[in-house]
Amino acid sequence: MPVDLRVSLAGIDFRNPVLTASGTYGFGKEYAPYCPLAELGGIVVKGITPEPRAGNPVPRLAETPAGMLNAIGLENPGLEAFIAHELPRLKALPTAVIANISGFSVEDYRFMARSLQRDSGLAALEVNISCPNVKQGGMAFGTDPAAAEAVIAAVRAETDLPVIAKLSPNVTDIVLLAKAVQRGGADAISLINTLLGMSVDIENQRPALANTFGGLSGPAIRPLAVRMVWQVAQAVELPLIGMGGITVWQDAVEFLLAGASMVSVGTANFMNPQAPLDIRRGIEAYCERKGIAAVSELTGRALRGKG
Amino acid sequence: MLTNMRVIAHERLGDDVNIRRLVLEGEAAAEAQPGQFLHIRAADALDPLLRRPLSIAAIDRSQRRLTVLYRIKGRGTQVLAAVPVGGMLDVLGPLGRGFQVPSTGELILAAGGIGVFPLLALAAAAAERQVKTTLFWGGEDRAFFDNAGLRLWRDLGTPLSLATMDGSLGRKGLVTELLGLWWQERTAAKEPVFMAACGPAGMLKAVSLWAQTKAVSLEVSLEERMACGLGACLGCACQGRDSEGRLKNLKVCTDGPVFKAEEVEWDAG
Repeated sequence: MPVDLRVSLAGIDFRNPVLTASGTYGFGKEYAPYCPLAELGGIVVKGITPEPRAGNPVPRLAETPAGMLNAIGLENPGLEAFIAHELPRLKALPTAVIANISGFSVEDYRFMARSLQRDSGLAALEVNISCPNVKQGGMAFGTDPAAAEAVIAAVRAETDLPVIAKLSPNVTDIVLLAKAVQRGGADAISLINTLLGMSVDIENQRPALANTFGGLSGPAIRPLAVRMVWQVAQAVELPLIGMGGITVWQDAVEFLLAGASMVSVGTANFMNPQAPLDIRRGIEAYCERKGIAAVSELTGRALRGKG
Repeated sequence: MLTNMRVIAHERLGDDVNIRRLVLEGEAAAEAQPGQFLHIRAADALDPLLRRPLSIAAIDRSQRRLTVLYRIKGRGTQVLAAVPVGGMLDVLGPLGRGFQVPSTGELILAAGGIGVFPLLALAAAAAERQVKTTLFWGGEDRAFFDNAGLRLWRDLGTPLSLATMDGSLGRKGLVTELLGLWWQERTAAKEPVFMAACGPAGMLKAVSLWAQTKAVSLEVSLEERMACGLGACLGCACQGRDSEGRLKNLKVCTDGPVFKAEEVEWDAG
């Protein structure tokens, strides 16, 4: 019997549990020649801000062991251009499209949420309260539970789309933030964003990134992400989208077993543009081998007998 | 395309242990244009994690072969250098916007150091069209040129004008000085001149300014760290101007790596 890969999360019916992570997948068109988007559960597109942003100076990237640092600085065309130039094409894609919004004040988030409703054709809004690469805002909202709650509540009040809060791992206790966004009215939580890191170029004796600090992603951060998914899964009622270094299907299964309902593939797209597809197939084969009828049965299975 | 290519040759280009010649065979050769690059995964491993963008130095469609010349610089190229002949490499590409190959007039190439590598493929394409081509090439010293493929240019029959920092070969000085001298000695212009340049940013800026004053059409090949190679990650930004003169970000991977010189804003960053 074929495995039922469908996942229902925050009222959205996804074809399968594999998404692509914001900031690694552009607006979808970049990868379309390599990965049939209809085969994915959905795509989370590049984060947008109310106004266009040019981003940070180069170098914006530095490779690290089993990982990479990025400090793109939220380069994006801005909300208006996103709606005018990207949304019409995104709407027509044969997969669920989730927009990712970032701001520098509660008002910024409110403004964007107001412009992005169900009739936009989007499946959901992912609220980025965790970008480490902009001077003010972004991560600031993601490290203070009261601020996180306020941002999510503001977005919740303005849009009829499902709201997904994306959490930062750069906190002492991620559970406090997860509970805060639950109180704010989030429909789901995605975690984790990148870890704030730094690397020094020893030849020119300067920070490797022009921005000095950047967000660490890739396989290096996976165990930390799995731990956070595990903790949050036990602390809140909301469904989770797990991410952080997922490179092959085994990684994705780990996140599902630890408590995620869906997974997002990020940095792995850079090495293998077909990674999300390979991962979806691998999850399916794993379920078949284990005699699991529906992928949703994997969620939190590693928690059985706990607590 | 995302494909596997077989390693046909992998060796030192000259005496310098760090400058290598890699010949790959596979489908990707059919589509390749001068100025494009291959995004190569050095190993099926997590470290190095990212692909490495390497420019195409020669295209042989009949034998389905592409040649890449590169300098070992960091971990990625170190690991790549260990891939043996007969091995397979995971290649994304050819990627990016390449050079326009002129079919009339005269082609002038300006290279700084190993920036000469992508110009070799352009010179070969121009030679097929019988376009008169001259290479102006600046390097450190005599040994550098031998190690960086001078003989490949001699084999191609391209007239060369060389400059070294120490005067051990050609003229002592910069490649832009060679260009200036050539222009002075040039008898009344008859043919339109097309220029292409690749090298360090400072050299490209100088060549750009020079070409602008002479009203010569110039294309430049840029380099920047990149992750995806497909225009998604926005890691390889460079600054340019749109048609109305406003500053905007360009992506080296998909808007380039070859740009018209006037598209690039040299002083913005």
